[in-house]
Amino acid sequence: MTSELLTRLRFLISSKRRSELDEEIEFHLEQAITTRIAAGMDPAEARRQALIEFGGIESARGQCEQQRPGWWIGTVMQDVHYAFRGFGRNPLFTFSVLITLALGIGATTAVFSVVDRILFRPLPYADPGRIVSLGFVHSLERQEFVMGRFYVEWEKDQTPFSALAAQSTMVHNCDLVENDPEQLGCISFQASFLPLFGISPALGRNFLPEEDRPNEPPVVMISYGLWKGHYNGDPHILDRMINVDGNPARIVGVLPKDFQFPTLEAADIVTPFVLDATIQQKVNGGFGDPERVFARLRSGVSLEQAYAQMQPLFNGDLKWFPPFAKNETHLSIRTLRDREMQEARPVAWILFGFVLAVLLIACANVAGLMMARGAGRQRELAVRSAIGASRGRLIRQALTEALVLSFAGGLAGLAIAQALVMVFVRLAPTGIPFVGKAHLDLRIAVFAALVSCLCGVIFGLAAALQKPGLAALNARASMSRNHAFLRRSLVTAQIAISIILLSGAALLLRSFTKIEEQNLGLQTAGVLTVKVALPWWRYNTNQKVMDFYLRLESSLRRLPGTRAVGMTDSIPPGGWESDFRYSDLAVQGKPRGVPGIGGTVVGRSVTPDYFRALNILIVRGRNFTDEDRTGDENEVILSRLLAERLFPGEEPIGKRFLPDSVRGRGAIVVGLADNVKNSGLTEPNDPEMYTLRRSVSGDWDGNHLMVIVDSAMLVAAIEPWVRSEVASIDRTVPIEMEPLNQSLNRLADRPRFETTLLGFFALTGLLLAVVGLYGLVAFMTTQRAQEIGVRMALGATRANILHLIAKDGLRIVLVGLGVGLGTAVAVSRMLKTLLFQVTTYDPLTYIAVPLLLSLVALVAILIPARAGTRVEPAITLRAE
Amino acid sequence: MPQSTDLLQGTLDLLILQTLALEPMHGWGVAQRIQQLSQDVLQIGQGSLYPALYRLEYKGWIRSEWQITENNRRAKYYRLTQTGKKQLATELASWDRLSLAIASVLGRATEASS
Repeated sequence: MTSELLTRLRFLISSKRRSELDEEIEFHLEQAITTRIAAGMDPAEARRQALIEFGGIESARGQCEQQRPGWWIGTVMQDVHYAFRGFGRNPLFTFSVLITLALGIGATTAVFSVVDRILFRPLPYADPGRIVSLGFVHSLERQEFVMGRFYVEWEKDQTPFSALAAQSTMVHNCDLVENDPEQLGCISFQASFLPLFGISPALGRNFLPEEDRPNEPPVVMISYGLWKGHYNGDPHILDRMINVDGNPARIVGVLPKDFQFPTLEAADIVTPFVLDATIQQKVNGGFGDPERVFARLRSGVSLEQAYAQMQPLFNGDLKWFPPFAKNETHLSIRTLRDREMQEARPVAWILFGFVLAVLLIACANVAGLMMARGAGRQRELAVRSAIGASRGRLIRQALTEALVLSFAGGLAGLAIAQALVMVFVRLAPTGIPFVGKAHLDLRIAVFAALVSCLCGVIFGLAAALQKPGLAALNARASMSRNHAFLRRSLVTAQIAISIILLSGAALLLRSFTKIEEQNLGLQTAGVLTVKVALPWWRYNTNQKVMDFYLRLESSLRRLPGTRAVGMTDSIPPGGWESDFRYSDLAVQGKPRGVPGIGGTVVGRSVTPDYFRALNILIVRGRNFTDEDRTGDENEVILSRLLAERLFPGEEPIGKRFLPDSVRGRGAIVVGLADNVKNSGLTEPNDPEMYTLRRSVSGDWDGNHLMVIVDSAMLVAAIEPWVRSEVASIDRTVPIEMEPLNQSLNRLADRPRFETTLLGFFALTGLLLAVVGLYGLVAFMTTQRAQEIGVRMALGATRANILHLIAKDGLRIVLVGLGVGLGTAVAVSRMLKTLLFQVTTYDPLTYIAVPLLLSLVALVAILIPARAGTRVEPAITLRAE
Repeated sequence: MPQSTDLLQGTLDLLILQTLALEPMHGWGVAQRIQQLSQDVLQIGQGSLYPALYRLEYKGWIRSEWQITENNRRAKYYRLTQTGKKQLATELASWDRLSLAIASVLGRATEASS
């Protein structure tokens, strides 16, 4: 066997010289002739007979050549060379195909890279499909949470899950106290947490179950980043004592490098989540601490079954709830993927759909171009077939051409994909998980290669399977009826699809402009927001917090150019806000609202300058004054919306809330402020109530405090001043500053991202469809050159000819428009969740889009049609 | 001249190997020998002889070298290799099986040995 292999290899390397075979055949013929002459034949006849007996010398030679192992490689090279020569002769065709393929493949690959993690890639946990997030959801908190009291019961009594683990509700600031305090993110989870996700620590061990109990010696796990960064990857990190918020704790483990919290939060230090049944029944009004709960479904238990099995437990818990909260609280169990991706999935699917549509258009384009080329080459193919090329050889040749093209297109596509991904990452809003980390990876490159090969094979075959009929040899190249119909349908489909894409993008664009143009009710220019995170273990009383902020306020007021310094616990229009229920408001002399009805009210605790800094108009009554801050009265200002609901047709100023009503106090309404966008950019406004943050320590609880500085100076100029003012009070507290403009701009990031992306793909689709239309009309025009020549010779004017050609193209466009518009109206309903103040039947969109497309299509038709009219009848007729 | 029969697919290789098993020979000789031995019934297309020889050589079953014939003429002689001998044995065995099978299908099993 090896010897056979060696022989094969030898022949592969050194092909037999042709002359050897010639000599051999020559010898053979010589012998045949000699034998015949010896038998008495005359030499000429002997030679003739011998040659007849031998058969075709040339074909024998060819066959001998084909016996050589690896012979086909040579023909492939031949085919490739031939293909390149063909491309060189036809640069326009080659360029169109390449561009189409590159755009199609590039866009697909890039978008696939982005949506992959959101839609397809398994989460980085063991058997992630069976992990769920469960708990209560409430109108004020849409992410599942469980109160500690109920959780300890669930742990005991639940049936559908094989494991259950709790984590604290959010990452909180904590200080790593060493020489220089450093502020980090801390979180806690139970000992059962990591095993549930199938994660083991990179170093050390997980928490022990007994460490989840109170009064155990404190231990912590640290993140891989903290270990590598802060501790320089110290291999002896385990058992080291560190000081977190003033408490010593022992490091027992390091989390793995790519560990990702199921809430997608980032934390540096993890402490055990201490859950004690008796404690949980006492704290927080007997409900216990809120927490996030994750669980692993038992095998064979579906999400629905789990929901049904948890329902009785949940119903039991509901008994503890105050009556008004019962209606608002529900049980929710959803897969971890749904929990992590939140609302990103519909966007991802739409994006994916858009890109598939673009790929479809691109494919149709390439198919059309290949078909046109095939039709134009019928004569050539017929000639090659007549001089002995086998059918298989012709198909192979066509396949080679197509593969070379798709390979080149694929390479260009990868380059485009890389560029696009970079653009995506730059544009990526924070709301869509993972986009910021998207990059081209190997699997996706393979995906692109597959798409490109598939394109090549399909189109190559489409071109090759056109049987080169003998008729093609003497007739002019002509497109058969079937192909003409197929190509027309392809172009019609392209136009229809691009209408759908354009309508979708136009709807989003309309919605985006509405978002940008809406009146927010506040000024944002020249306003700086300052967030100071006071370490709670040092600022452990309200008094200390208040002192800090009052000192900061007065020092910022002294800065040159400062117009107003306001303090508040939140800033519209988005982000965290201290909401409460409308039904909790009780007005003196009025019946109480019905619990559970009326939705939520935004509460904001502000200083008088808040309205001045944000330029929010007081439409009635008066603003808070500095005197109010030291007085005994609790003043509130209502938003117009709230006033209209609470006091329809009455004078709101001077109305009183009952003593237990507003944050446990009574209060008097002193003013009415204009409505401000306060539920994000796209949601309808909530009613809003401003309470005065007085200079009394009781008003300074809570850790969400922000300082707003309105200055006549440039924002960039005052930032360093603010920083040094903060440092002069306490140089260790971290500080975050951002112009309000910028944070507002970030809120619009997501619609901007969606609009840009979909718009880009819609335009790409339009471009490709127009290239397809142009190609078709140009092709038809050349096909009909002779007919045109005859018509012109018979007296047709140029206008007649133009009309003749354009009519054909326009019919295609009109059919495409009709089909596309119908589908677009039906399909655009999927965009509904993304639209703001625009209906899916937006008339402007459905007028503008067809107009735009018709205009572009008209150009694409007229250019080749005009070229057709410049045909010289004398030349085309003589060309025959 | 008796009517010549088309060669069954694949039997040409067998015939060539069998012929070369007797002695090394050039292409012309192989053609003549097959014709003689079959009493002119099997007439191989001489054009297809050479591709077959090349194929067998590429497979390593035969080997070629240039020699001088008895009339002092340079010619390429083919000889069976070791693998070629083994291959011949297997092909002969399968040929026997095949012809026996065909004979029995035709109901002439008794005469098959002749």
